[in-house]
Amino acid sequence: MEFNIETPEQDEKTLRRVQVRFVTKLKAPLKVPNTSIAIPSNLTRFGLSSVVNNLLQSVNPEWKSEPFDFLINGELVRMSLEQFLLVKGISAEKVLEIEYIKAVVPQKEEEPCLHDDWVSAVDGSHRGFILTGSYDSLGRVWKAAGSCTHILEGHSGAVSSIRFLKSDGMKNVTVATASKDQTLKLWKFDVEDLINHPKKINAFKILRGHKASVQSIAAHTSGDMICSGSWDCTINLWQTNESDAEGDQVSTKKRKVNNQVDESQFEGEAVSTLVGHTQCVSSVVWPQHETIYSASWDHSVRRWDVETGKDVSDIFCGKVLNCIDVGGEGSALITAGGSDPILRIWDPRKPGTSAPVFQFSSHNSWISACKWHDNSWFHLISASYDGKVMLWDLRTAWPLAVIDSHKDKVLCADWWRSNSVISGGVDSKLCISSGMSIQ
Amino acid sequence: MRAGKTVSVEATSPKKKKNNNNDKKKKKQNQTEKKDNQNLSKKTTKSANNVQTENDASLKIQDLERQQNTKQELSATASDSDFDYQVFSEDEVSEYYEQSEDEESESSGDEVHGSYDDLNNDNDDGHEDQSDGSESLQGVEESDSSEDEVAPRNTIGDVPLEWYKDEKHIGYDISGKKITKKERQDKLASFLASVDDSKNWRKIYDEYNDEEVELTKEETKIIRRLLKGKAPHTDFDPYADYIDWFKYEDSLHPLSNAPEPKRRFVPSKWESKKVLRYVRAIRKGLIKFDEPKEEEPRFYLMWGDDSSTAEKANRLSYIPAPKSKLPGHEESYNPSLEYIPTQEELNSYQLMYDEDRPKFIPKRFTSFRSIPSYENAVKESFERCMDLYLCPRVRKKRINIDPETLKPKLPSRKDLKPYPATCYLEYKGHKGAVMSISTEGSGQWIASGSTDGTVRIWEVESGRCLRVWEIGEPVHCVAWNPSPELPVLAASAGQDVVLLNTGFGNEEEQKRVGELLQVETPTASNDSDNMASIVSWLQDDKLGGIRLRHFKTVTSVDWHRRGDYFSTVMPAGESRAIVMHQLSKKLSHRIPFKLHGLPVSSVFHPTRSIFFVSTKKTIRVYDLLKQKLIKKLETGLREVSSIAIHPAGDNVIVGSREGKLCWFDMDLSSKPYRILKCHPKDITNVAFHRSYPLFASCSDDGTAYVFHGMVYSDLNQNPLIVPLEILHGHISSNGRGVMDCKFHPRQPWLFTAGADSTIKLFCH
Repeated sequence: MEFNIETPEQDEKTLRRVQVRFVTKLKAPLKVPNTSIAIPSNLTRFGLSSVVNNLLQSVNPEWKSEPFDFLINGELVRMSLEQFLLVKGISAEKVLEIEYIKAVVPQKEEEPCLHDDWVSAVDGSHRGFILTGSYDSLGRVWKAAGSCTHILEGHSGAVSSIRFLKSDGMKNVTVATASKDQTLKLWKFDVEDLINHPKKINAFKILRGHKASVQSIAAHTSGDMICSGSWDCTINLWQTNESDAEGDQVSTKKRKVNNQVDESQFEGEAVSTLVGHTQCVSSVVWPQHETIYSASWDHSVRRWDVETGKDVSDIFCGKVLNCIDVGGEGSALITAGGSDPILRIWDPRKPGTSAPVFQFSSHNSWISACKWHDNSWFHLISASYDGKVMLWDLRTAWPLAVIDSHKDKVLCADWWRSNSVISGGVDSKLCISSGMSIQ
Repeated sequence: MRAGKTVSVEATSPKKKKNNNNDKKKKKQNQTEKKDNQNLSKKTTKSANNVQTENDASLKIQDLERQQNTKQELSATASDSDFDYQVFSEDEVSEYYEQSEDEESESSGDEVHGSYDDLNNDNDDGHEDQSDGSESLQGVEESDSSEDEVAPRNTIGDVPLEWYKDEKHIGYDISGKKITKKERQDKLASFLASVDDSKNWRKIYDEYNDEEVELTKEETKIIRRLLKGKAPHTDFDPYADYIDWFKYEDSLHPLSNAPEPKRRFVPSKWESKKVLRYVRAIRKGLIKFDEPKEEEPRFYLMWGDDSSTAEKANRLSYIPAPKSKLPGHEESYNPSLEYIPTQEELNSYQLMYDEDRPKFIPKRFTSFRSIPSYENAVKESFERCMDLYLCPRVRKKRINIDPETLKPKLPSRKDLKPYPATCYLEYKGHKGAVMSISTEGSGQWIASGSTDGTVRIWEVESGRCLRVWEIGEPVHCVAWNPSPELPVLAASAGQDVVLLNTGFGNEEEQKRVGELLQVETPTASNDSDNMASIVSWLQDDKLGGIRLRHFKTVTSVDWHRRGDYFSTVMPAGESRAIVMHQLSKKLSHRIPFKLHGLPVSSVFHPTRSIFFVSTKKTIRVYDLLKQKLIKKLETGLREVSSIAIHPAGDNVIVGSREGKLCWFDMDLSSKPYRILKCHPKDITNVAFHRSYPLFASCSDDGTAYVFHGMVYSDLNQNPLIVPLEILHGHISSNGRGVMDCKFHPRQPWLFTAGADSTIKLFCH
């Protein structure tokens, strides 16, 4: 097949050419003819992308060019093709098979949602709204960028973590918050409420039991249980059912008299406590029914068996850990970041897992949050105190994208609707970067 | 012929002398008894030469005379009879004379002699002849003075006659006219003439004046006498009678009849003075007698090392000059062509640095004559003089020790991880220098006090300022209550110590704290006699705490580990400078110990009821239960600024205003175990880590130093101190740098409070 590639280097005869064939797992309109072509070896990702776009245009004249990313032997091409082959020791004699995927780049920076104080927690696990917690001890519900629908009021300390639990049907949504006032609160609200100004909501249940600031909460997949990590070195498990025992109701009534609380509140106590960490439990995740992972300031990542309440395995990393998430391939990889600029990823399935399998070190300061993408095995984000949110692909050591919209420390970050990254920071903004196409 | 002969005579004169000597030796062998006489005659010959004023013969004549003398002497020795030339000729020397006269080429066996002969034969080759002759002439002239001689006809002076060899004249007379050379007779004619002439033996040729001189009878007589070794003049009697002018026998009467003077009988005043001086010197011990001389050891260690002997030689030792390199071919004045640099090489020399450029660039000169004077002569001689002037007069002993071996063996820093190294977090918000920080027990919060009059509480993990209290006065010191149930903060500002409710903890704790921080007014006045004047407990509603008003400025607050007692230090308070307070009973006591010097700070022991009081020079350790002094630590520092106790309680570090850090091992001694001189400026604070083997010091130079300080439970093992890291980052302002440093209670992190109004967290 004769094909003319319009690259400036084309006329140079001295250039080496590589025989390549572009393959993809993408759907029909994005498929290029499965023939091998010769392309200059000094093409970078951009050059390859334009080649593919040209190919697509030749098939479909109305094709609008789109950025692509390229994989050779399962690794993203991040330098010129020639260099890449040289570094990886791949022979240029054979026909090179290059897989292309849609490039993952934030296309759009949505308008930031302004808060009154530092944004300390975000949750984007529900497609319909974003939950944020702030240092002004309020939780907020955002329908979209810039439109706050509900304000969760009631904590007396900064909200350190906020988590969506469950929704009955589509309307009623249950949300849990953890705060530095040593309590957790459960909230219920109607998503469909269409009000112009944000509606203030009070908690329907308060969970007491921690003796220090609660740092993090994680919900069971069903949403009936939550666990929380705290500065008192424990992880508490809580029931989230509202119809609890009567005695709780009574106790709250008593409290109501004392504290002049306007609305009736249930009070809950911890179902069980997981003890083992020696310092602040900074982050917990509950990815599966049986297991809870926790990261702590005692430099360890622990896996807890919920049934027995014992820790099954632990990984020591040597640094204070601030965030943990589990995901990736088979939802088994553990990523954690902490008091140094390195994002570490462990594979607990490997024997002798003390050494991380991946280390990403493009940040300049503490890592405050890390989150796997829900569906992708490869993508994760990390937020750091250097004000950057980075999007990582396990197939390359360089960040795919750096979101630099924050002016100061980024305290929290999450995915939203699988294609947006939401992050909140010290500049009191919730930034939403959308338009990423992760298949 | 004539000239040739004379020339030969003169030319061979040195040889003759030699012969003469030989003869003398012979004579010695033959007639040893003549030796003295001969010597004498020699002397007289010389003196005669000097005395002989009337003799108008020239130098050459004198020389000739001498030769003649020799001849005569020889003849005299040989025959001991009348002077006869024939007899003389039989001798070895005369034979030689004959040779020269008769032009017979008889070989005498002497090679030199032969060569002279040859030269004589060859008349044309007069150059060498004459030069030889002139040499011999000069030789003679040097020994004799000729001032009393008649001026010669020729006025050319003492110049080589060869100059006139090719001229018609031999010189100039006194009036400046040329003296023409006489016609030379051919040799045969002259020989015949000499044979005919009976007086020929008396004639000599004066080459200088180009004339023949005939010696008079008197002159020959003198010569003969000289040859005989006698005085030249007959009237001189060498053996005259000796006249002894000295009389050996005493004369009967003295020369002077004067009586003996008195001074001959009086002891000398000056002598007595001198004796007195000696006596005094002896008494003073300046002069010593009977002092046994230090004997050189008879036997010495021949192969022993000579280092000790070298030390004994305390004087300047000879320093040999360094040997210069021997000159090579290229330094020749005419080196072969391969040594000469080409033009390109010369150009490349120009591009080189001065020190790399070759010192000597070979040059070619066709002859020795064309070599110019050495251009660096003045410069080099000057430098040589400077070298001599600046040469070290003392030989320094260089110790050949590898400096690396002198370093103590310390473990590498990598093995001592973790320790704080990098700053990731800053706590910004203060508007003045942060004077003091304090960490909460769990490490979630820190409190800071600043000169802007505020006390702030920060969240460690995020850098969030949680609470601010406006005290109103610059805050000197903040201290968090170590008890986790009592989240109370003590801050000293001016004369007050304020106890603040931080608001942490759950409701019950808050309630308890709230009750605790209530002061009923009577408690202050209820206090014992004079304590009210020192401290009064007041309720401060605005800040929600207690205000303890002291009578002097409080600089330091320290809590007891239980969190009920705390001590405050007022450096200006003299005997009441340190006060102990009890929070639960709202009571204050003076410490029951006498203070020595200005107190700087007071610290409670981390585990036992022991109290440390540091004054400017010393640290005193008191037992609070027994109420007595346990130990006194001598710092040896000029001014102590801070003190920190190791969590085990047996080791103390003390920082000083001169930048020195002392580590005391109290079990070991009261002197510092180690003194670390690290900071160029005042150390403002020192800190121990609660669990990690780390300690730190911070200073006004804007840095904090982190050390590894391992204390072993084994008492035989000394603490291991390793400097780890210098933490930079704070900017000095108003000459103040880092004001305080505190370790995170659980992590190997260090908080530093700077005068640049920020707090930094250094993480591992």
